[in-house]
Amino acid sequence: MFKITLSPAERSYLHESLSCLSPIRPDARLNKQFRPLEATCSFLPGSNGSARIRMADGAECLASVKAKVVSLQLNNANSAQHLKNLIEVDLDINGIRDDSNLSSTIASSLKGSLVKHIPLEKLRLTHRYAFKLFIDIVVLSHSSVYPLTLLSLATYMALKSTKLPLLTSTVNDRDIEEQPMFSDDWESSLALFGDSSLSPPLLFVVAVVKDNIFIDPSPEEESVSENGICLTYANGKIISPLQTISLSPKDNTGINSAQILKAHALVKEIGPLVVKSLDEIVSDDSIKTIF
Amino acid sequence: MTEIISIRKPLNPNADSDVESSDEEMLEASLAPKNNNQSIVTPGELITEDPIWMRGHGTYYLNEKTYSSVAGTISKVNKLLSVVPLRGRYQPETGDHVVGRITEVGPKRWKVDIGARQDAALMLGSVNLPGGVLRRKSESDELQMRNFLKEGDLLNAEVQSIFQDGSASLHTRSLKYGKLRNGYFVKVPSSLIIRQKNHLHELPGSITIIIGVNGYIWISKTLYQHQKSLPSTTGNNALDSTVSSAAAKSNSYTPGQGSVSITRLEEESSWEIYSDKNEPISVATKDTIARYANCVKALAKCDIGITETRIIAAYEASMVYENAGLLLDEETMKSIGEDVLNRERMRG
Amino acid sequence: MELYSPEGLRVDGRRWNELRRFYCRINTHPIVADGSAYVEAGNTKIVCLLNGPHEPTRSQMNTQKGSLDIKLHVSPFSTTERRKVTRNDRRIQELSTILKNTFEQVVILKNYPRTIIEVNVRVLAQDGGLLAACCNAITLALVDAGIALYDYISAVSAGVFDNQILLDLNRLEEQDLSSVTIGVVGKTKKLSLVLSETRLPQDRLAKVFEVAVNGCHQLKDQMDAQVAKKGREKAITEELKTNWVQ
Repeated sequence: MFKITLSPAERSYLHESLSCLSPIRPDARLNKQFRPLEATCSFLPGSNGSARIRMADGAECLASVKAKVVSLQLNNANSAQHLKNLIEVDLDINGIRDDSNLSSTIASSLKGSLVKHIPLEKLRLTHRYAFKLFIDIVVLSHSSVYPLTLLSLATYMALKSTKLPLLTSTVNDRDIEEQPMFSDDWESSLALFGDSSLSPPLLFVVAVVKDNIFIDPSPEEESVSENGICLTYANGKIISPLQTISLSPKDNTGINSAQILKAHALVKEIGPLVVKSLDEIVSDDSIKTIF
Repeated sequence: MTEIISIRKPLNPNADSDVESSDEEMLEASLAPKNNNQSIVTPGELITEDPIWMRGHGTYYLNEKTYSSVAGTISKVNKLLSVVPLRGRYQPETGDHVVGRITEVGPKRWKVDIGARQDAALMLGSVNLPGGVLRRKSESDELQMRNFLKEGDLLNAEVQSIFQDGSASLHTRSLKYGKLRNGYFVKVPSSLIIRQKNHLHELPGSITIIIGVNGYIWISKTLYQHQKSLPSTTGNNALDSTVSSAAAKSNSYTPGQGSVSITRLEEESSWEIYSDKNEPISVATKDTIARYANCVKALAKCDIGITETRIIAAYEASMVYENAGLLLDEETMKSIGEDVLNRERMRG
Repeated sequence: MELYSPEGLRVDGRRWNELRRFYCRINTHPIVADGSAYVEAGNTKIVCLLNGPHEPTRSQMNTQKGSLDIKLHVSPFSTTERRKVTRNDRRIQELSTILKNTFEQVVILKNYPRTIIEVNVRVLAQDGGLLAACCNAITLALVDAGIALYDYISAVSAGVFDNQILLDLNRLEEQDLSSVTIGVVGKTKKLSLVLSETRLPQDRLAKVFEVAVNGCHQLKDQMDAQVAKKGREKAITEELKTNWVQ
């Protein structure tokens, strides 16, 4: 389903189009232009945050954030490590086994970037208790070999729309153990990213063909690309992880610093625009129907 | 800003249907005479108790009554009663001009994906091979089938016959068929393609399009026939000239698909027809191909039947957008679609 | 909490013979699937994507009739308490098998020799009536794909509370009551699917089936209405397709 076989003539046509001085993408997009997307938020009433995003080629991803109260193990001295455990990412890509290489690589890329950019302290409820976030991502269908951009956009929106119930019991349970109590009123719930200066990270995959780089590569563009770079963007900056990935089975020709710098500049340019568009969808809660 | 990313909410299906219904009424009014007897039947619905009808596709017979097995419209041709489903995979018919992709190379045959329920078969005996149209297929041909066509290769072909189980057998024994080069592949629902006399067209901007009946479309650079003198690979000149003139005659409208010069048999049947090499294609041509591809997608998005005239109309309408990449936007696609239909209405 | 109040109201305010809000759409994923459907029964939400009939792998090939493959995926967030369900979960396997057996009876598979129909059912939210909702979603996806069926299968659950029959149970009711899920062929009284995992009082059985069959017929009408609506929209574009061509 996501393995696409092109004829040699198609491949050379595409490769030539994408590698020339003013490249022509097969759908005439600019190199920094995304394919149109359709997205909706907060469609799962049973989750604290949720989002669905669909690309024009039908690739589709659902993301859900569920919070659960867990007790912190107090005897463990390494509290930073602890807090990291408050985020769990689970991936289900249609047609790919959960324990496959691809699935676990993507899940760990995502988790790695999220842990650093979710206000973990906000998850801390009391001395003894904290919220644990379960981020579950389901890819209903996809055509890309590396659907990370799609996953990341959905996760961003799900996190941005995440609301946590307001704690009504005491914060200080250091001496007296007390089960945390929450307000029943959903109106008083707090947005996870409400007043935070942090913002969920976005991961972008760019395809590299000769000296040109392309955002949101289509499957056919991926299959003729020489390299892929995955970049992470948050709060106006390119952050780690930045890694090269293989988008096509073709032998990779190696990557040079100029290409990485180009990709860096490209993602830095489009990052704010993507964030703005996504935030508009998150804040517009007029439609709740999924399909 | 919209040049970088456009995200929209899914249309509210309910609000959506309100809009549609007003459109619908309008359209229904304009189509009234034709639309009258077009009622929808759904699976399990009784169509007739009259035994006079022969039962075709989309129906089943139980206790002397004929029922529908799919959701669709009733079609009555002479005494044959069938239900045409609203959606479904491409159903090949003999004579269809299709575009397909090789999925498997097997003993004496290729398997070809044509978007039907089953892959089609292309027999080794149904293709032209290097070394002369009329020669017998030998064992060495069998061994080197992958050198002619291999997995992933695109070709255009004609449906030669339909097997008992409904799958198709293809042939490429004409110069207008064969391997595809110099262009770009687009896929649309086969229900949008209307069977016509000719599925290969030349479009403004030196573009050739093959609108496969199966919804697979090939947009490529038009190649003008140029004389090339290649060393002859077969000897019999007398035979050559008769066969080639006959071939040329029957394909006189073919604008040279592939790099085939149609005046010399040696060339037609030389290895060149199985070449994987593209001609040089200019940036401007590639740009035009991309624009045509987006126009085809726009028509498909609007559920408008795809014909050569409509593709040209859409192309013309698209010219107001300098960046053809903007044509991907759903709103833009809709407006292109409306433009195309309006033009047709005006022409009457 | 009282599941059925003396005033005759259930926990969610329904009467005994009232269905939950049923919402369905077909052709929700036209690009990636040959047939697709989305079904909501109360708060239970199901997406169904169908691909085929298409070329099978050698091992799936049956020269006499088409093969039907139904996979059920339960999303970890579909339950109130997040729970990861693996694909090998016995319960999931069992439900998939029941669905496959049901639809092998109703799809006219002899029309599709040497092909496979692959159905992926994705559960987004569970609030009771899982099997019934999956069944309805698959029916709609099959219809959307233009695959030949003898008739619709519509399904619903029904249970017994203190001698009172309740139709279309939600999760709370399903947990506490003995219940049965049935699937009905079209508008007949023929049952193509029966699953009861709890004890039902024998003297109430006939009545339970009667109520449930009635519920199925209501659902069939709603599904049929959605299909016919889509059909009319499509018929108009069909006109567009050919009307101006000549």
